[in-house]
Amino acid sequence: MTNSLPGFRRTEPQDASFLKEWLSDPKILYGFPMEGEKEIEDSVRIWMSYAEKGYGLTALLNGIPVGIAVLYIQPFEKLVHTCLFSVIVSPDARGKGIGTALLENLENLAKYTFTIEILHLEVYEGNPARRLYERLGFVPFGRHEGFAKENDGTYRAKISMEKKL
Amino acid sequence: MEEPEGFDIRYTRSMDVSYLKEWLQNPKVLEFFSMNTEAETELAVSAWMFFARYKASLTATINHIPCGIVTLFLMPYKKISHQSSFKICVDPKHWNKGIGSALIKNIKHLAKEYFHLEAIYTEVFEGNPLIPLLENKFGFHSFAKQANYVKAKDGYRERNCLIANLKEEVKDDK
Repeated sequence: MTNSLPGFRRTEPQDASFLKEWLSDPKILYGFPMEGEKEIEDSVRIWMSYAEKGYGLTALLNGIPVGIAVLYIQPFEKLVHTCLFSVIVSPDARGKGIGTALLENLENLAKYTFTIEILHLEVYEGNPARRLYERLGFVPFGRHEGFAKENDGTYRAKISMEKKL
Repeated sequence: MEEPEGFDIRYTRSMDVSYLKEWLQNPKVLEFFSMNTEAETELAVSAWMFFARYKASLTATINHIPCGIVTLFLMPYKKISHQSSFKICVDPKHWNKGIGSALIKNIKHLAKEYFHLEAIYTEVFEGNPLIPLLENKFGFHSFAKQANYVKAKDGYRERNCLIANLKEEVKDDK
């Protein structure tokens, strides 16, 4: 692990190009439901629409974005205490503790700025990020079998995990 | 259960939106949905009606008056487009008349035969009478339960996600 510590700021519109670039990496895309440029662009648009509301957090190393996370805060009073989130770390910045630091900062943003009580996430079967989520205290509450169908006809389950803040 | 006289099911039309909005503003109905305010209902209804243009929504009528709507929320990405979530709402004036059952039976058929979906799923909140209907009559099973998901005036409620596999079904529902 490097000695460099990431800095954090709210996600800004220009971060969208990093998001698109990282999502275009097949190894990263494996953890997401999209495929192809059009679907990636659509997901980036949705992600950035939440970031515009101040719900996004970007990790920086030497001033360059290396990871982005977003809270999908729901526009319904009854559900505003719970929140789904997504996170991506640049393939070049893996193994440097960026994901852990980003998620810890995201938890603080969720808890103290937006008074979120429960954070939850969706991770596909076989995604190594699941170990990180478990280490940070997320526990599974559901398993959606066959949720993703790959081009070769194989299926992958989607696992839902949550953490009470 | 026999459906009422004059009962029919057709594709949802844009004019049905006013009925859906009216039902969703009834506190008895709203108890089982995530909306609370009129603005929230407007937002939810516009997302709901979006899928009617793809013929992914069915409206039940009695003497041509809408009494229930069920809609498939088709997934926008290819890898996950073989399944779909759905939402259903029945006019509280017509609860316990078999309308929900007729809509679920028909949306399963539409999902399988027209959209070639392999499974459909829905999210319901604790206490919703739809849960035993889906489980006991239509072959749904729970695949996720999240405590405290809904924060209502009278406390927290669990959300229950239920799925029906359409690929394995070989006979019509009872």
